[in-house]
Amino acid sequence: MTISKEHLLKVYEDMVLIRRFEEEVEKYSKNGTIPGFIHLGVGQEATQAGIIDVLLKTDYKFPDHRSHGAIILSSAPEDRKRIMAELFGKKTGINGGRGGSMHVNDLKVRNMGFNAIEGSIVVTGLGTAFASVYNHTQDVTAVFMGDGTLGEGTCHESINMAATWKLPLIYCVVNNQYAISTRFTESHPQPQLAMWADGYCVPNEVVDGNDIEAVIPAVERAVARARAGQGPTLIEFMTYRWQGHFSGDPAAYRPEGELERWKEKDPIKLTKARLLSEHGVKERDVQSIHARVESEISGYIQFALESPNPDPEDAVKHVYTDIEVEAR
Amino acid sequence: MSRIITFSKALNEALQQEMEQDEKVFIIGEDVAKMGGDFGITSGIWKRWPTRAYDTALSESAIVGLSCGAAICGLRPVAEMMFADFIGVCYDQVVNNAAKLCYMYNGQASAQLVVRAVTGGGIRCAYQHSQCIEPWLMNVPGLVVVAPATPYEAKGLLVSAIRSNNPVVFLEHKGLYNTKGDVPEELYSLPLYKANVERAGRDITLVAGMTMLNFAKRAAEEMAKDGLSCEIVNPRTLLPMDGETIINSVAKTGRLVVIQEGPKFMGYGAEVGSMVYENVFEYLKAPIRRVTSLDTPVPFSPVLEDYVMPQYSDVLKACHEVMAF
Repeated sequence: MTISKEHLLKVYEDMVLIRRFEEEVEKYSKNGTIPGFIHLGVGQEATQAGIIDVLLKTDYKFPDHRSHGAIILSSAPEDRKRIMAELFGKKTGINGGRGGSMHVNDLKVRNMGFNAIEGSIVVTGLGTAFASVYNHTQDVTAVFMGDGTLGEGTCHESINMAATWKLPLIYCVVNNQYAISTRFTESHPQPQLAMWADGYCVPNEVVDGNDIEAVIPAVERAVARARAGQGPTLIEFMTYRWQGHFSGDPAAYRPEGELERWKEKDPIKLTKARLLSEHGVKERDVQSIHARVESEISGYIQFALESPNPDPEDAVKHVYTDIEVEAR
Repeated sequence: MSRIITFSKALNEALQQEMEQDEKVFIIGEDVAKMGGDFGITSGIWKRWPTRAYDTALSESAIVGLSCGAAICGLRPVAEMMFADFIGVCYDQVVNNAAKLCYMYNGQASAQLVVRAVTGGGIRCAYQHSQCIEPWLMNVPGLVVVAPATPYEAKGLLVSAIRSNNPVVFLEHKGLYNTKGDVPEELYSLPLYKANVERAGRDITLVAGMTMLNFAKRAAEEMAKDGLSCEIVNPRTLLPMDGETIINSVAKTGRLVVIQEGPKFMGYGAEVGSMVYENVFEYLKAPIRRVTSLDTPVPFSPVLEDYVMPQYSDVLKACHEVMAF
């Protein structure tokens, strides 16, 4: 399956948007403007952009804590600045600043948000996939997980049930090699985590997660299987996070030279080289993409900085659907 | 038309009548479909609705997690925990997921699910099949915890729980399953978040639900022989609790005995006591008394279990104490 020049240009722009979003988030996290923890996906753009590129608005998406990229790409362009504002904890945030980086959701596009406990959305996703079957719709569910997530018992429960009931679920295992400081090879017996699905009779594959032209067809295969009622698929995307686990983690646990080797496999550089050499795209066309992204991102930041804080008393809203909780 | 049926039958009727009304309701759990549940509460449902009753693997987290996901898509799952103690296995899904979804989605979606959980002691099954787990749940804003005491309540409250857009943990005391009472044949609901004054009185307020309601009723009869009148308040919903009804009752009687089956420390009786002290301290004529289990796990041998569990005689003793103060 080949990807057209236009398609590749589009996902290239998506990846650049993720990279620049994350770089800005890191800056405002480090200077204290963005409160709380921030987990950055720099280096993993191809996986995030590729998965979202294939999914429809009506498909259920459960992006994880390192998925700002998938989150912004899921939402409509006009809502993306509100995602930045959410990270800043502002009233204009897409969730009113209630959830922040780890819980951004946008039900309009079926971004169902993240439960910041690893392995939780893996079982919640069973339910959205189950609802598709129950309601006879074609919507698939994609759950983002890391290599570390697979250590959770809920992953066993989920894949076992999804496989038995042939639920339209895609396990997107983004193997960035480390669960905080622990390498996946130190905590799992499988040389590739995808093999883990073999025990549940679930089709699986290992994909170069830095090559968007490998990511997209793999996701398309899984989506096709799910829509055809053939059940779940597990895809292991091999990639690498350039930063530590959270913004500020120096990642001293990684061997010297490893990061540099992975930076040579930068998904953005790789795609740019192909655009130039295989599709006849000019450097100035690429530069105009970067300029467009730059203006987008500065708009997000300006919006987030200028937005008001939430009204404190809004904290008591929506604890229950039908009764009010006492305010201070 | 009303007739006398068991607590179990009342629950089954609630499920079937709600499933007739709303095709978004389905049941899921271990052995709930073909077998009809370990206690038979879901019997007959799978036969009527084979595509709306699901037997699962022994996977409590997946049962509740799936229910959360299905609920945010608009379905109304009714999951069964064969024993409430098993909520320990899927505690994360109940308290970190279901309880937070409405808040996380700003009210645009919520975990409109019911987890029916078989609770309580007295059946000689020891540590992991006998606990009263309500305090595990009651410090978690976003959850609703319902605890019926009679067949009438079982049906009416389960109907409300299924219709609720909040996540409801519905506690069914196994000691009540075979009890009988008057239950209307037709579909009806009882309000959540509302305590019921079972008996009006002027001398002592007895707060008691589930199996403990029976102790309260017996004690009230006994005290009446001495010319003393007990007011019995059955909370029905434990979280959020109808503090107002309890507080108003104590303002009238000036004396409070809370009867709860679970251990004393941080049991719901502690919260009832605090609400009363904070709001109507000046009306109290005697210190509050709590009748509870001992602060131990639930042991097996009948002699040991009875020693640990609250007894009817403890209730009478507490009533006499608050009167004698």
